[in-house]
Amino acid sequence: MIKAAHLRKEFELNRQQRKELNTNDTLATAVEDISFECQPGRVFSLLGPNGAGKTTTLRMLSTILTPTAGSIEIAGIDAVKYPQEARKHIGFLTGSTGLYARLTPLEIIDYFADLYQVAAKEKEERKAYLFDLLNMNDFLHKRIGKLSTGMKQKVSICRTMIHDPSVVIFDEPTSGLDVITAENIIKLIRSCKDQGKTVIFSSHIMSEVDLLCDDLAIVHKGQLKYNGTMPDFRTNMLANNLTEEFIRIVQTPTPLA
Amino acid sequence: MIFRIFRKELLDTLRDRRTLMTMLVIPILVFPITLNVFMEISNSFQESASAQTMKIGIVGDQSERYTKQLNAIPAAVGPKKIIVFKDSVALRKAIEADQIQLGLLIPANEKQLGVQQQTVTLNWLLDASEVGRAERAELYSTTLKANAEAERLQKLGLRPEQIRPLVVNTVNCASDKKMVGQLAGGFLPYVFIAFGFIGCMYPAIDLFTGEKERGTIETLLTVPVLRWKILIGKMMVVVCSGMLAASCALAGLFISIEFLDLTDNKELLGIIHSILTPYFILSMFALLFPLVIFFAGLMIPIAIYAKSFKEAQSIITPLNIVVVLPSMVGFFPGVALDLNTVFIPVINVVLATKELIAGTLSLGYFLSVFGIMCSLAFLAIAISYKQFGKEANILS
Repeated sequence: MIKAAHLRKEFELNRQQRKELNTNDTLATAVEDISFECQPGRVFSLLGPNGAGKTTTLRMLSTILTPTAGSIEIAGIDAVKYPQEARKHIGFLTGSTGLYARLTPLEIIDYFADLYQVAAKEKEERKAYLFDLLNMNDFLHKRIGKLSTGMKQKVSICRTMIHDPSVVIFDEPTSGLDVITAENIIKLIRSCKDQGKTVIFSSHIMSEVDLLCDDLAIVHKGQLKYNGTMPDFRTNMLANNLTEEFIRIVQTPTPLA
Repeated sequence: MIFRIFRKELLDTLRDRRTLMTMLVIPILVFPITLNVFMEISNSFQESASAQTMKIGIVGDQSERYTKQLNAIPAAVGPKKIIVFKDSVALRKAIEADQIQLGLLIPANEKQLGVQQQTVTLNWLLDASEVGRAERAELYSTTLKANAEAERLQKLGLRPEQIRPLVVNTVNCASDKKMVGQLAGGFLPYVFIAFGFIGCMYPAIDLFTGEKERGTIETLLTVPVLRWKILIGKMMVVVCSGMLAASCALAGLFISIEFLDLTDNKELLGIIHSILTPYFILSMFALLFPLVIFFAGLMIPIAIYAKSFKEAQSIITPLNIVVVLPSMVGFFPGVALDLNTVFIPVINVVLATKELIAGTLSLGYFLSVFGIMCSLAFLAIAISYKQFGKEANILS
């Protein structure tokens, strides 16, 4: 389970950034008072246009960034106070595969399993299970730099799931991927849901959200514009389709939810 | 966990061709190749210079006294051919046109000066920009002067001691080891420092800026490992790389001395062997180790701050000059390890190593340099940790 309450994140602006943004402010607010809950066995989608604050929010949830204000609870652990403990329960996957090109998939998976302190026996079992599930056995000893995007994505998925996390965070996981490769991610999200894991993913593609999510939050310019279930969103929408409704909500000046 | 990170980063680094080149291949090969090429060129110049027939033009040798003396000098010194010129103008022109390599001008009143027991002044004309000519002239002059002195003494009926009442000698009490240490001792720490720095450079950029650029840092920061442990694991690889590069450079230098016949001087080789004792090598590594950590600590904050490989390289490369230039202080005579220089990083290690080679480094100074460099290394680690903890630096 994920509980985020009154999350706020400010970044200090250096001189060059102030110049680029044409401002004299020394602080920029990326996320402002965002609260939501993600339940186990459900898929929560964080939807918003580019620069809305989705990645910052997910980075705070995954403890890469520390919130300026607010609280985060991951699997019952205060993630702001005890980030190390919270990380043991989190699997984090981004659209960019984020792999070491000079290592092999096997070396990477072993490395991350060790970093997550997975016990030796469990590690071997998880590896065998995931390699079979993702059809990875043929390229386990090839260097990452020589793999196709699809193969790399499978390695990323395997790395994310090697410690069997109860909370899985996907930051624009299908961004830049072709349809077939993106399908692996869709399958993974569904599988996580079936296993009762808490899943949150960010996207700016409404069709993807429609396909997967049970609960939905829309953010724009760091503020929460909508927070509710997907069936409620469909029931209450004023526009003709989901994409138009998303655009309408984003462009409405006052928060709706 | 630190060791696990170190193992992975080391494996990753050892698979990077660029790092391997700067860490192993270049340091090992640079001395054997450059010294071999230098020796070959130098030998070929010397051989061609000694094999060259020197045409010596003589003006004013009416009694052929000097021609005979020159002809009497053994051919082993180098072949020669003597040509008589009528005047100095023609001789000078011939030298300028390289038809003649050496010209000897004998004054017209040479015989008269000899009779009057005055000093005769001879002049050599030569093109000093050409290798070996001044040396050959000096060689001939020694013989001519010795002959003239012996002849004059005989005429006067004197023995050499009678006109040489006092001989003053300088006796060098310094050991050969100390002399080598003072004259050539600056070279060793220079090599060590230059390659130690270069060896750290690529891994520091690759393991920090590279990780940011490739987007792998984000996933690494989600693992339940404290950031300082990640930093230390990576830093250990940077330090290892620097130490390895410096050691390879020294190994290359040793191979050059042992197997390339750089010198026939067995005494000098004996001194070099007596310097390279296990105690010396261990002491030198003890001085170098905190210095390389200090280098890593200088580079890592830059690599963490930089947004791209190019940006990191453009900042660290000029730093190379700032660090390596002071290490040349060892080449200057008179600069010694004292209460001032002991506090200056890099320079203190150079001077301490120089004294270590000469066998004059006191335990107090050794411990002071080691302690000061360890403190600076610790400070550098603290700065790296602070930079690595900044959110703005670690995420691009």
